Amino acid sequence: MKVAERCLSRRDLFKSLGAVTSGIVLGRWLEPDAAMAQEPVQTAMESFTGPGANPHWNSVGPYVAEPQKVPLILLTDRPVQLETPRHYFRTTFTPNEAFYVRWHLDGIPNAVDLKDWKLQIEGNVNKPLALGLTELTQKFKPVSVAAVNQCSGNSRSRLQPRVPGGQWGNGAMGNAMWTGVRLRELLDLAGVKGGALQVQFQGLDTGQGPKGLGSSLFLKSLDLGNPVLEECVVAYLMNGEPLPMLNGFPLRLVVPGYFGTYWVKSLTWIRILNETDENFWMKIGYRVPDMPRGNTTPDDVKAGRVKMVPIERFPVRSFLISPDGGSKIPMGMNIKLRGIAFSGFGRVTRVEVSEDGGKTWLAAQLGEDYGAYSFRSWEASWTAKSQGRHTLAVRATDEKGNSQPDEPVWNPGGYLWNRIERQEIVVGSAS
Amino acid sequence: MKKRIAAIFLVMCSLVMVAAVVYADLKKGYYRQAELGSVRQTVAIELSPDSNYQVSAYPVPGADLAPGDGSQEVRIYCNTCHGLSYITMQPPLPAATWEAEVNKMNKTFGATIPDDSTQKIILYLQAHYTVENRKP
Repeated sequence: MKVAERCLSRRDLFKSLGAVTSGIVLGRWLEPDAAMAQEPVQTAMESFTGPGANPHWNSVGPYVAEPQKVPLILLTDRPVQLETPRHYFRTTFTPNEAFYVRWHLDGIPNAVDLKDWKLQIEGNVNKPLALGLTELTQKFKPVSVAAVNQCSGNSRSRLQPRVPGGQWGNGAMGNAMWTGVRLRELLDLAGVKGGALQVQFQGLDTGQGPKGLGSSLFLKSLDLGNPVLEECVVAYLMNGEPLPMLNGFPLRLVVPGYFGTYWVKSLTWIRILNETDENFWMKIGYRVPDMPRGNTTPDDVKAGRVKMVPIERFPVRSFLISPDGGSKIPMGMNIKLRGIAFSGFGRVTRVEVSEDGGKTWLAAQLGEDYGAYSFRSWEASWTAKSQGRHTLAVRATDEKGNSQPDEPVWNPGGYLWNRIERQEIVVGSAS
Repeated sequence: MKKRIAAIFLVMCSLVMVAAVVYADLKKGYYRQAELGSVRQTVAIELSPDSNYQVSAYPVPGADLAPGDGSQEVRIYCNTCHGLSYITMQPPLPAATWEAEVNKMNKTFGATIPDDSTQKIILYLQAHYTVENRKP
């Protein structure tokens, strides 16, 4: 309401009070912008954040509607990188249509013809295999695992100083029930020959770069001696449905507890190598300092003092999903705090919440246990005893005793962020 | 005198009424004009029961690149392998980081950007996407 419209002259009021007041109402319809100038409006999110840390839970891009997806937050359009908005983490299993997306090369499949498509197991094996989807679903015993897929760079926009790369908020993660064939069963059927060192995975995606470079193919490898291979599944179902094209239809490697970089999408080649994979995505990309928490400093990197190793498991994390700070909470009202927790090192055994920003902690109630690699939901009751701004914090501990620290992490790739999360909640007067 | 008292009374009544109308309007029926959102619903594509599993083209909203010398080279060369939102998504970065990023495209990823265009692209990014000069 414009001030001018409120300061009506005495003469106007004498003339006709009714006409004046209805005129104001009418005027607001005719000129909504002018009439609303002083009232709260929804302002669009800024288009980037920095040089400080991104202050928002999610990244700041616009929403975009991609095939088989609800509107998700756009990081990049080609190749596609999409972040899941916070509220989709209210459920322990992330809906397929809201599940985050991260491709590396712009030649993403738009179509797969299952008449031609075959999973090929090749390289240093006794019997190379080519298996169609029908064979994979009919000839092998299906296994299911609930597992979190989290991007190595999830929360990269929190780092100080900021580093280049996908500027994810917290939504580059998701949990699904993955169903498929045990990788071990396929490897045994093909018969890994002696002297083999690694198993390499390749999907259908290709880039514009020259052959042999990271801009041409996205390749990931795991050591044949790595115990995680026993838990790997090549999944054709995600939450009981075929995978969305953007999440890797028709088949995706599931590496429980490991960062998403190993979860090769549209998996088509499994290759047994006699040597260590030295392609860009193993030797240069996705490497972290060989230090506790993968932590280092820009100075140490510049001085060449940092030994880098391939990223592997994700550290323990927990999030408050609701309330999200977007609404006021009336004082004295007993509300539910809800969220999720997970760890790549084993079952989450404890989640604690703090109403004083992390000085004192109270145990939250854990939800149903879907296995060591799943999101674990948690819940706690909370009553704000005073009006004002309260800082809630949440931290999780896993069965190995790993707990979330309150110190930031920095490394040049922007990986492994798992600092305790905080959320400001505004508590209003209830009377 | 009586007239003046009546006038003051009327003024006070009217102020209360105006205030009541303003207050009532904020509590409900509160609208504002807004830009039409960029996220339109899309029609499901035609599905046939054959072996081909297809989705529609992935949308490219593009990026709002800062105008300036070198932007043409960015549109030609950077856009070959990746969309330009790869640039606009970044936080403000130090000039040296932009130089390293562009050199990485040539040296590590095998881009074949001519030397003079490489220089122009680096200068363009350094002129628009650092802490000192990044505009909202």
